[in-house]
Order: sequence, then structure tokens, then C-alpha cells
Amino acid sequence: MNRVRGRQLAQGLAGFEVTDEDHLRAQWYVLLARLLSAPPDQALLTTVRGLTGDDSELGQVIRTLAAAARATTPAAVREEHFSLFVGVGRGELLPFASYYLTGFLNEKPLARLRGDMSDMGIARADDVKEPEDHIASLCEMMAGLITGAFGAPVDLPQQRRFFATHVACWAPRFFADLQAAKSAVFYMPVGAIGSVFMSIENQAFEMAA
Amino acid sequence: MSKKTAAKLGRRDFFRKAGLGAGVAGAAAVGLSASKGNAAVPDKAVAKGEGYRETEHVKKFYELAKF
Repeated sequence: MNRVRGRQLAQGLAGFEVTDEDHLRAQWYVLLARLLSAPPDQALLTTVRGLTGDDSELGQVIRTLAAAARATTPAAVREEHFSLFVGVGRGELLPFASYYLTGFLNEKPLARLRGDMSDMGIARADDVKEPEDHIASLCEMMAGLITGAFGAPVDLPQQRRFFATHVACWAPRFFADLQAAKSAVFYMPVGAIGSVFMSIENQAFEMAA
Repeated sequence: MSKKTAAKLGRRDFFRKAGLGAGVAGAAAVGLSASKGNAAVPDKAVAKGEGYRETEHVKKFYELAKF
């Protein structure tokens, strides 16, 4: 399931405190990563069905997602995931930073990301063949940087730099595309959640700066 | 209050108003843990109609066959 891992086992995290709101941010990233990385299995789908939301924008889209999850089956979501991201030949969308930024896969944005990953002690999981700039990998990396899954949690300015360089410059466009994709039914609200969450992250990073 | 603490509080408040706590609390309860380790062993049982899975057994086969 995990697309990336720390190069070394995380150790010696004493003294780092991850705040409640940072845990929540990480969980939104994990939710997006899990839904986008592979079609949700029965267990995850059941979890999603039970999600509730308040009247905030995010709460509303999570309610839409829960309703979409209740209206679908693992097999249907699997098919949807396939036509969106895998496809015959290619899927409807190519969820890679490099593609969104340059029009091609495996271009400079991927090289830059690999450089930063190596500096931060993050490696691609051994059983993953797709390039690291997949949206799900990047969400996992953000979650890991926040909670310290790859070592020590990194501070906000560093998170902000990573977010701006590798995520904010294209992910909002991708989530908008996902929302509007022809094959997206269950994934439509996933795109909506991504859009809303990205704009929250953007604003929050600006506040912290 | 230092400027930094104020910014931190503002941020916390902002997240709260943005509804960040909505929904995911439930997800947390069911174990959508963010800090899961890297136990990335796909050992899902090969259910009917699930198609090809690179299970431990298959990996072992490749290894032995020197693919």
C-alpha cells in the first residue's frame, strides 16, 4: 500500500511534538493517498461510508464522498479507478507532477523531487513501479513529513517549501480535472476534497509564513 | 504573547474553522493511521476474480527462476 518509505527506520523522535491539527492534516493526506493510490478495498470503503462532516466546505464534500461510497461497490470503484488512472493504453488522467508541469512524464520535476526525497531520507517503496511524482506518493510524503514517518517531523517552513515545489504547483489542477473527469463517480468527491484541502493548506502555509 | 505563538494559534483556529476535524476523526478510529510503518507486504489472499497479484509466492518464483 505504501508508495514511499524512509530510507532508515525512524528513530529517536523524542522531543518532537506533532500537534493535533498537524495530525489531522496528515490524516487528510493519508486518506487522499489511500484513495488515489489504489482502488479502496471493502474495508476502506466501509470506513469511508461512515465518514461524517460538519457544515464547513470540507465537511460537505466529505459527506458527498460518504454518500458516493454508500452508492458504489468495490468492483465498481475498481473499474472507475482503472479507467481514470490506468486505462487501456492510458487512463483518462495522468496523475503525475511531471506530466502536469511539462506535458511529459519523467521530466525535470521528477528529477527535482528525487533530489529532495534523497535529501530528506525518503525512498520509493520496493514494489512500486510508478514514478515518485504520482499524486498519491506526494500525499504520502506530505503526511510523512508532518508526522515524522521518515525520520524527524520537518518544520513548517520546510513543509511549505516541499509543498510549494512539488504539490501546490499542479495538484489543484489535477484535483479539478478529477472532479470533472468523465469516468469519475466515486472519485468526483475525492477530487472535490482534494481541491478544498489544497486551498486550506495553501492558506494555512501563508498564515504561518 | 510572542508573534510566533499568535501565528500558531491563528493557524489552529483557521484549521478548526476550515472543518479539518470533520470526518477524519472517524477515519482515525478505524485505523487510517498516518504514521504507519513501511510494512509494505501485499499479502492479500488471492480472491476469485482479483486477477494477478504479486504475492510472496509469486515473488519467490521469480527469484528462483532468476527473472
